[in-house]
Amino acid sequence: MNAAALLVAAVFTAPIAVLALGSLRRPGQPPPNGLELLPERTTTGNYATAVRMGDLAGQLGNSLLIVAVAVPATVLVASWAGFAIATAPRRTRGTLVLVTLVALMVPPVALWVPRVVFLEWLGFTDHTIVVALPAIAATSPFYVLVFAFAYSRIPRALVETATLEGLSAVRRWVLMFPAARPAAFAVAMLAFVTYWSTVIDPLLLLPSQERWPLSLGLWSLSSLDPPMYPIFLAGAVLATLPPVVVFLLAQRAFLTRTLEV
Amino acid sequence: MRALLAGLLVPLLAAGCGGAGQASGQEGAIRVQVSGEPEEIAVYRALVTAYHKRHPGEKVELVAVAKKDDHLARLATSFAAGRPPDVFLINYREYAQFVARGALTPAGPLLTRQGVRMADYYPQPVAAFTYRGALQCMPQNISSLVVYYNRALFDRAGVDHPAAGWSWAEFAATARRLTRGSGTTRTHGLGMEPTLIRAAPFIWGNGGTITTGEPPRLTLNTPPAREALRFLLGLRPAMPNRTELAAQDLETRFTSGKLAMLLSSRRDTPLFREVAGLDFDVAPLPVQNVPAGILHSDGYCVAAKSSRQDAAARFIAFAVGRQGQTLTALGGRTVPSLVSVSKSGAFLDPGREPESSRVFLDGISAIRRTPVHPRWTEVEEVVEAELTRAFHDGAPLDDVLARIDDRTGAILTTGR
Repeated sequence: MNAAALLVAAVFTAPIAVLALGSLRRPGQPPPNGLELLPERTTTGNYATAVRMGDLAGQLGNSLLIVAVAVPATVLVASWAGFAIATAPRRTRGTLVLVTLVALMVPPVALWVPRVVFLEWLGFTDHTIVVALPAIAATSPFYVLVFAFAYSRIPRALVETATLEGLSAVRRWVLMFPAARPAAFAVAMLAFVTYWSTVIDPLLLLPSQERWPLSLGLWSLSSLDPPMYPIFLAGAVLATLPPVVVFLLAQRAFLTRTLEV
Repeated sequence: MRALLAGLLVPLLAAGCGGAGQASGQEGAIRVQVSGEPEEIAVYRALVTAYHKRHPGEKVELVAVAKKDDHLARLATSFAAGRPPDVFLINYREYAQFVARGALTPAGPLLTRQGVRMADYYPQPVAAFTYRGALQCMPQNISSLVVYYNRALFDRAGVDHPAAGWSWAEFAATARRLTRGSGTTRTHGLGMEPTLIRAAPFIWGNGGTITTGEPPRLTLNTPPAREALRFLLGLRPAMPNRTELAAQDLETRFTSGKLAMLLSSRRDTPLFREVAGLDFDVAPLPVQNVPAGILHSDGYCVAAKSSRQDAAARFIAFAVGRQGQTLTALGGRTVPSLVSVSKSGAFLDPGREPESSRVFLDGISAIRRTPVHPRWTEVEEVVEAELTRAFHDGAPLDDVLARIDDRTGAILTTGR
């Protein structure tokens, strides 16, 4: 069992190791012939170059601002919407699930132009925080469904008792939320990944480079010519660190508090 | 529901951020949108800094987009939203769609008011940006297609370096002689993208045309064009195949010494200069019947919706003026459209590769271009997809040409 786990871990760690080793390669060399594990001539200077060339330090702050607003807002709104669906009368519930599924099927690319037109009309573009805006609509209908299914596992009698007790919708939601904690963890993780790696929204909504998140700065570094790729890889290593830290911290909290491991 | 929610909550959220209703960006600044990788963008930043120094009262906000597709997506959405950049840089094969939608103010009259004299510029790119009776955008560069070659690979194989006026037969023989080895150490004689803009100079050089009539129709099916395409297809054994290209693209193969010759424009020069130990130079295209090259040029366009068109024109006049053109030429990626700067040390620096930079200028007299048409980019996409079938999948040329005629006919007749 442990051996199998180690094997899976090795398979997933290998690309990160290649990324880290590639970031040490001296730029301006002809690209390696195939996979080169340990570069012949190494340097750590790529990290400083990447930070300077891509203005990554300022962008890190922008990314943190976006996730700090978007992730809690997404969890909150998706959890409200999911709770509303799960506790609605049977027929309404069916309709709401159907509407959510239809919304899920709209290709994101179809929303690019209307979203830019709408936000430009409101005068909101070129503010970093505008990237977090989809959070007020739960970011993705999928997250709403995750919560709807999580809440639907709560015994119906419990919900009805709470209603009979005269508890308000908000109080009922507060009461039921702990039962959906694993769903909240999953949605928070997914929302974090979504906003940490968002490229298209900031590209279309933020003309000024100083307002870009880290993801767009990294995207821009990825257009470097192949001999300069080690600089891009160094940027990628730096952009990978915060999610890894978040995951490790959240995983510990999740395992101890939710699964009681 | 989602839209309603957004409609209700958006003002609240924005009010919290202190941004509602404010015009974004710097007050009074004009926005200039360009695309390019970080080092290319650094050149445009230097250009803007120099402009601010020269004109302290003016403000330019550079909107830098890394990739060309993103550049076009951003332009499309910002035009749709009614707030496009005041100035943007675009290729002459792509600007007609903006003219067709009435999205541009012709740059010619604006620049004439700024004292820009068109006679100081190469006429070919100026003609390429002239459409519907006016100069729509101001060309910043003029490049032609050349043969980049790896001198070390030529010397090692004992093959003479290409000389001006070399023939198609010599070109083919050179490509074959430089194809050797096997597996991951295999070197190829020639790298060429299967696109219309790479094939066109060979078709013209063979006495053919690529389009005819008004509205235009592709003429790749005519005998001289077919003969040129057949000649290029005959060089397939000297070119990397689809699998090899999936592992390493043409530029990467050239920088790692696995490709002896590469057909490309000036755009690749900074990339090749970056690679330590790469010994390269450029040569003109081989000649069959008549010398022919193809124009590569980008121009500064002014959005019709810009409320600061005179300020936009002042910036463009600076960018295409002596100082602006010198700065961009030093970046290495462009051949200046201003004749005097193209012949200066900023471009023809003998201390920097390629040693024969003059080849880019020598080819200008024989340069031709693709027609200006709002849907031309779609035509090029179709031709590339079909030529890829011929070059990489071994599809018969007759079949490929029939499909090109079939698929492009409707595009070219409905776009005007």
